[in-house]
Amino acid sequence: MATEKNYGNPELEAKLRDRYLYTDDTNPEFLNDVKKVSRTIAHMCYQCGTCTGSCPSAPRSSYRIRLFMRRGVLGLEKEALNDPDLWLCTTCYSCTDRCPRDIAPTDVIMAMRNLAFKYDIVPRNFLKTVQLIYTTGHGVPNNDVNRSAREKLGLSRDPPTTHSYPEFMPGIQKIIDHYKLKENADRILAEEGQ
Amino acid sequence: MAESKHQYAFFLGCIAPNRYPGCESAAIKTSAKVGIELLPLKGAGCCPAPGAFGSIDLNVFYALAARNLVLAEQMNMDITLICNGCYKSIWEVNHILKHNDELRDGVNEVLKEVDMEFKGSIDVWHLAELYYDPKICGVNKLAASVTRPLTGTKIAVHYGCHLMKPGKERHFGDTENPMWIDELVEALGAEAVQYRNKMQCCGAGGGVRGYDLTHSLDITNEKLINVTEVGADAITEVCPFCQLQYDRGQIEIEEKFGKTYGIPVLHFNELLGLAQGMSPQELALDLHGIDCKPFLEKIL
Repeated sequence: MATEKNYGNPELEAKLRDRYLYTDDTNPEFLNDVKKVSRTIAHMCYQCGTCTGSCPSAPRSSYRIRLFMRRGVLGLEKEALNDPDLWLCTTCYSCTDRCPRDIAPTDVIMAMRNLAFKYDIVPRNFLKTVQLIYTTGHGVPNNDVNRSAREKLGLSRDPPTTHSYPEFMPGIQKIIDHYKLKENADRILAEEGQ
Repeated sequence: MAESKHQYAFFLGCIAPNRYPGCESAAIKTSAKVGIELLPLKGAGCCPAPGAFGSIDLNVFYALAARNLVLAEQMNMDITLICNGCYKSIWEVNHILKHNDELRDGVNEVLKEVDMEFKGSIDVWHLAELYYDPKICGVNKLAASVTRPLTGTKIAVHYGCHLMKPGKERHFGDTENPMWIDELVEALGAEAVQYRNKMQCCGAGGGVRGYDLTHSLDITNEKLINVTEVGADAITEVCPFCQLQYDRGQIEIEEKFGKTYGIPVLHFNELLGLAQGMSPQELALDLHGIDCKPFLEKIL
């Protein structure tokens, strides 16, 4: 969105000026990044609002998925990625089911979250899940109360997952390390802790 | 003992085995009664959680889900599971990697580091859909396995999100007002009650439960109001994470909002277990946050 057109004619400049968006703070690649990660046709959004109208988070917060769709199209990367509302989508896919343009707005949100993470923008709870999976293989690991309950049911104290077969843990850790995910999670949590 | 004709690798996920083991135990026992045998998927891990992991790095999400899929491919067996969140990860990644060569090659490059390869040779099913499928079980066969009908009880079915949605990519038909799980519930002799906004999310997904608990619980509270309005004796679902959100969530709602519901929340497999004559102890119902007694008194 150019604010100065440099037509050298003040009259034309005034007549043709962009009336809708005056900001240099856009990233023209943002939409392409979003489309690449989400694999959905985000540019097709015509702002009908069906997504926000279907959203269980909208009635109880300022989260508006339609706004994020617009930010994507306009390249308003910083505005989108720094908005704490980005993390209020429950990923229920109601908007995706109802979108008349066959876009998956839910996947647009997921893509924006992925892009935010590249700038270290991420709520703590997501990082803690990474640490748990890295150390136990489970996002919700077993505990002693549950172990004795399992025993009473005739189940093994630990389920036949990585909990019973820790020899599978290095495989999980290698995959996570390949993407430096644990490393980044540890670093961000440590920085936030200061 | 029913003959086992249909064998599946049983993908457990996290919340069922580690928080509600009754769901795991019930799934193994109830399915055996209709000729489905569940075999352990050794070394499986987290699916990984689609909200928590998918939100920060989809590539890791694909690769970790693929690792679980390869374990079942090595058994040469389809996967079945009992959690909608796991279904989103395991079913969807299987589906994506089977149809997207670029992503599949990327994932296989990483899997090579752990001596694995995703081949795309198996399918993934939710156990509830196997119960509904007449080629595997079907409503009639399920009804025939019932020894203690849940007559006189009203059950509100919560379908959850990640099993059926997005509907365009799935195969469950109508996602606005589905009835197939209601049919399964009625096969147990209960009345499946209809309530306002049946398909609304429980509020837990997408990492929102961890990010903003009161926001998440406010969504749950809305569903509890709608379920109470029609006089449901219990909620049933096919997702241990939804179960956690409704069950432990009611305790949190009481603490944070001062509202009390006391509605028992049972996974469909627990409900089926009761209808097939399993005792509350065999289902570890004492681990539930909300006392199931008011419901049990109606059927025992």
